[in-house]
Amino acid sequence: MKKSWAGHRLAATPKKDLALHGLRVLDLSQVAAGPYATMFFGYMGAEVIKLESRSRMDINRGRARPGLNDPRVYPGGVQGERPYDRTAHHVHRNINKLSVTLDLAEPKGKELFLGLIKVCDVLVENYRSSVMDRLGLGYDAVSRANPQLIYLKISSQGATGPEANYGSLGSTLEQTAGLASVTGYEDGLPLMTNEVYPDPVVGILSFGALMAALRRRRQTGRGCLVDLSQREVTSMLLGESVLDFSVTGRIAATMGNKHRDIAPQGVYSCLGEDMWVAVSAGTDDEWLGLCRAMGRHELAGDPRFKDTGSRQANHDALDEIISSWTRGLDHYQAMHLLQAEGVPAGAVLKGSETIIDPHIEARGFWDVVDHPEAGIYKQTTTPWILSKSPRQPTVPAAGLGEHNYQVLGGLLGLSISEIDTLVEQGITGDVPDPSA
Amino acid sequence: MGKWNVYRRPFPRTRFQVIWHIEMQSNEGVLSDIKVLDLSQGVAGPFCAKFLAGLGAEVIKVEPAGGDPARRARPFFGDSDNLESSALFAYLNTSKKGVTLDLDVPGQARSLKELAQDSDILVESFAPGYLDSLGLGYDDLSETNPGLIHVSVTPFGQAGPYCGYKGSDIVAQAMGALMYTIGLPDREPLKVGGESALYATGISAFSAAMLALHIRDTQGFGQHVDISAMDVMTVAQIHSSINEQFGHTPVRRPTNLVRAKDGWVSPGLESGVQQGTWPKICDLMGVPELAEDDRFTTQEARRTNQQALLEVVGSWAATMPKEEIYHTLQSLRTITGYVATVEDLLVSKQYAEREFFRTLADPVYGDVVHPGPPFRMDDDGWQLFPAPRLGEHNEEILGGA
Repeated sequence: MKKSWAGHRLAATPKKDLALHGLRVLDLSQVAAGPYATMFFGYMGAEVIKLESRSRMDINRGRARPGLNDPRVYPGGVQGERPYDRTAHHVHRNINKLSVTLDLAEPKGKELFLGLIKVCDVLVENYRSSVMDRLGLGYDAVSRANPQLIYLKISSQGATGPEANYGSLGSTLEQTAGLASVTGYEDGLPLMTNEVYPDPVVGILSFGALMAALRRRRQTGRGCLVDLSQREVTSMLLGESVLDFSVTGRIAATMGNKHRDIAPQGVYSCLGEDMWVAVSAGTDDEWLGLCRAMGRHELAGDPRFKDTGSRQANHDALDEIISSWTRGLDHYQAMHLLQAEGVPAGAVLKGSETIIDPHIEARGFWDVVDHPEAGIYKQTTTPWILSKSPRQPTVPAAGLGEHNYQVLGGLLGLSISEIDTLVEQGITGDVPDPSA
Repeated sequence: MGKWNVYRRPFPRTRFQVIWHIEMQSNEGVLSDIKVLDLSQGVAGPFCAKFLAGLGAEVIKVEPAGGDPARRARPFFGDSDNLESSALFAYLNTSKKGVTLDLDVPGQARSLKELAQDSDILVESFAPGYLDSLGLGYDDLSETNPGLIHVSVTPFGQAGPYCGYKGSDIVAQAMGALMYTIGLPDREPLKVGGESALYATGISAFSAAMLALHIRDTQGFGQHVDISAMDVMTVAQIHSSINEQFGHTPVRRPTNLVRAKDGWVSPGLESGVQQGTWPKICDLMGVPELAEDDRFTTQEARRTNQQALLEVVGSWAATMPKEEIYHTLQSLRTITGYVATVEDLLVSKQYAEREFFRTLADPVYGDVVHPGPPFRMDDDGWQLFPAPRLGEHNEEILGGA
């Protein structure tokens, strides 16, 4: 059966009035940091081509034939016929992108890749640092093909240095960057986030870094290599502790949910199982507001709590008092009562609660997406709202190789029969290698 | 265990190195033609403006006469009553000039309006509506400066039912579903340490400001940028909302850290490890018999028997320095981590070779080490000079006003 790229769903074709219309991004990135950066490009109107190989798909897709015990999350627990198009992480992070496969280990694959490089503005990858050079597709090669190209190299440790080729996960970056040393309960045991916090943060920053590189290109007429170390960015999240150590020799440690300057601060148990409200009353006014909210006006004059210093010193007693009040309240109710008295407070929400929270809903944060494989779900969008430059609605994550014909035909001028031949040779295709 | 190329030489830990001072000429940066008015206080907004300054923008920070509250925030280099002693303020406000203006004094509000006329980007963190009430909101300022990019950085954003609510780092982490899954199973939810949510909010404001500048460069108009810490944290939870909708509820989990002689490591043997690596690690640990032990021979088995695995690795690791374990196991292509403290960061060879830390001289406190650029574009510099003293540039910038 002949496929026609011309008839394919024009999934991620951006609208002309969007901010980044006309920019084209070639996206080799995997897991979270890179895919997050490129999904924002898609939201703002750029055309993003996600390029994978049939034998090495984005880890987000999971395996070609996952076992029954595969730890990845599939909608409703059902792996389906194309499990690699259904995993939660793929569906969530690979939105707003066209999907193309090429085998970059094969000469023909490299040739086509460099052909795409010539018609793209931005290349993003986050392999181990040496991978692209080993493939012969490092910055020298791609900038020769397209001197205007901006190459964002997101890596664990940066493109240089003795640890440049070390592997990492979000959780190990939290350790090596120092973030884990300040995250944990007061017993000093360092903990990681389970949310691989450095990845989304780096993804958001990468978007800004690329905006800077595009501006630089407008100034100089040339592209450049953007070298971004995830570990370095993560260390910038504890900058004040670095400065402090360099002057005083103090080593920042875990402090649970407490704060250096705010007391009381913590999470307090509410009605229901594992329900909590976060409270931080930093100023005297906020402390008085907390007393009013709890109906404990006599505490306002209690010398144990008269200023931040004494509230720090008597934090345990305060925690008892606050808990005994919150325990009888719904976590949202506690939040609203506290905020009504000017006290910073927030319900500790689960993922399933954020998608129905009335505030963030009213801000238009969630998109309702109907994914052909995964069904209807709510998608996180952008961490910004621009008054005159709206984002485009979410385009569901594409199936593996769904846009091979559209991209190789439309951008590189290959005929349908030429692409068919590439499929027969295994250089492209829309099914993974069975070993993948 | 001598068979493998084992890292054996711990780095000298006596003192940190790479004392560095780079002050880029302001015409070198990608933003060297851009003027920024930074009205923001605290953490998130100032962090955004710090990044703009690093890329070469001229940033004027406006504080009330009493100073940005961050000047009174720990940790302090010295005396807590000294408004020039906060490490937090010193970090967040590098490469800015500083003036003092009290916006509710009419004459001073006029001065601010004049500064805003001459600015490309304005960053502010006031409660929504406050600047409008002074006639200094986006609508007022953009009337005569239509190219202005006005970046508002607040806990809950400019609109929505909670937009008048107050926030903090922990409140943002709570409302964004970030912290529910952090911490141990039998304990309360735990926040990421430091001011991580507010830093991420500042980074989002930076990226959005750069986007708005791109739009102004290419399409010719400015606009109002709305950054909400709750939105940012909801973007930063990358598992919870999607996994729960797909029928899997993420929960707080036990730690996989193992105690080393001088701290903690995560051995990283449960994923990303090639098949032939496990026997090498058994040799290294002096337990070659475990190479054939069914509990550990595959990644899946090691995940299933994680506690047993951690005990085996733990008895080996307990006598070794954490960094040595990190380098040794990484040389076998595992994804190993070690928990670095700020002290460890300052002796990291990796950071030293990349000149990530740069030192600024403080007249009172001496050399102050700053984490360096967040990314590098070819040889472009990173503008770095000390944060302004309160009102330091009043004369230069406000002059006769």
